[in-house]
Order: sequence, then structure tokens, then C-alpha cells
Amino acid sequence: MLIITRRAGEKIRVANDICIEVIEVTGSTVRIGIAAPRSIPVYREEIWAAVQAENAAAAQSPAQLPDVPAPASSSTGRN
Amino acid sequence: MAVTLHSSRFGDLEIPDEAVIEFPNGLIGLGGTQYALLARNDESAFVWLHSLDDPDLAVPVTNPFRFFDHFELELTDDEAARIGMTDADDPAVYVTVRATDSLEDFSANLYAPILISSGRGHQVINQSADAPVRAPLFERPAAGERVQAA
Repeated sequence: MLIITRRAGEKIRVANDICIEVIEVTGSTVRIGIAAPRSIPVYREEIWAAVQAENAAAAQSPAQLPDVPAPASSSTGRN
Repeated sequence: MAVTLHSSRFGDLEIPDEAVIEFPNGLIGLGGTQYALLARNDESAFVWLHSLDDPDLAVPVTNPFRFFDHFELELTDDEAARIGMTDADDPAVYVTVRATDSLEDFSANLYAPILISSGRGHQVINQSADAPVRAPLFERPAAGERVQAA
């Protein structure tokens, strides 16, 4: 892992189009600004990890799923 | 034209071009850029979102509105702008399903739904307050209630 020391107001550039700025440091909390192209999703790590784990678990589902009919569509049902 | 999917679960399948769904950012943490929805049975609540890049990668998905009366989907403005879909696109909404040997343990991820519109798909983060990662899909017997053997 590349480790860089920065002060509030200083930035890090990743490739040509991603810029990460340390906005404010208060005690043990750091506020960070991330400027990246819209097409690049940015997640807090714990949110990414929770969804990644659930996706991986879903991908382990057995090929033979029971033929369970969907419940009757409710009044707000879509798709 | 069609692409042939060599699925490790379902064998060789012909996927017509119009059924190919582009996922510019894949599924979160799983990747893949092209998927297709496979229905085993018109009546089933579940369909498979199968990667066309990886023969082993497929997740069961379902329509959250059919199972959860109070399901709501709320995106941040940034994410709505990123995926470039609006209500006018009327995207189909799916949630991934964690299937097990026991129906009681089936759950759906209401926190990270998948939106599909016009051959493009995105997995998004649902900002709605009531959107658990593991929502049970089937009612469990109430506490104290015994399941009667047939």
C-alpha cells in the first residue's frame, strides 16, 4: 500500500481524473473530498464490503431453486 | 445474432443479442460486464442473473415489489446521475436472493437493488431507511408456534 502524509487542504491525484482532498482533520476524524468522473462509483468501504459479501453469498445459491410462485402482486407491484 | 453461454449450472444456452444486459460497473464486488436474465419457469418467483463473462457466476434475483409491500427505492442524487436513469426510464427492479436448502433461510438484499433499463444494468445503494441486506423472503412461524408435521 502506498502511504502518503497530507495536511488539510492538500490533495492526492489518482491517474488523470481522480482527485482526493483532505478537507478537515478533527481529532480522529478526517473529512475527505473525492472528485472523480460520474461513471466511477465511490463507496464507503464497509458498505462495499457488506454488499460484496451478500452478492458472493447469493452467487453460491444452488442451481435447483424450488418453484415457488411469487406472492400475488400488490397494488404497488411493478416490473 | 446470439452468444453462447457455457453455464456451469445450466449447460450451453443461446442468448439472443437483445437479451444481453451491459453492466458498466458489474455487480458490486463481483464484476462482470455482461449479464442475461434466465427464467427457468414462467411461474417461478426467481430468475437468474447470469454473467456472460464467467460460466460460474450467476445470482438468483426476484422482484422486490412482489414480496415486500413496503419496498421503496431511494437513490442519492450522485448515484442517480451516475447511472443516468430516471423514473421516466421505468427501470425493472430486482434484488439478489440468497438461496439455501431451506425456504425459511431465503433472504433478499433490499439494500443493493439492481436496476435494468434498455439493455443496461446497475447495482445501486438503496438509501431508504427500511432496506436490510438480508430480508427474509418467507414468513417464519411465529415464536412459540409449532410447525405441524404432515
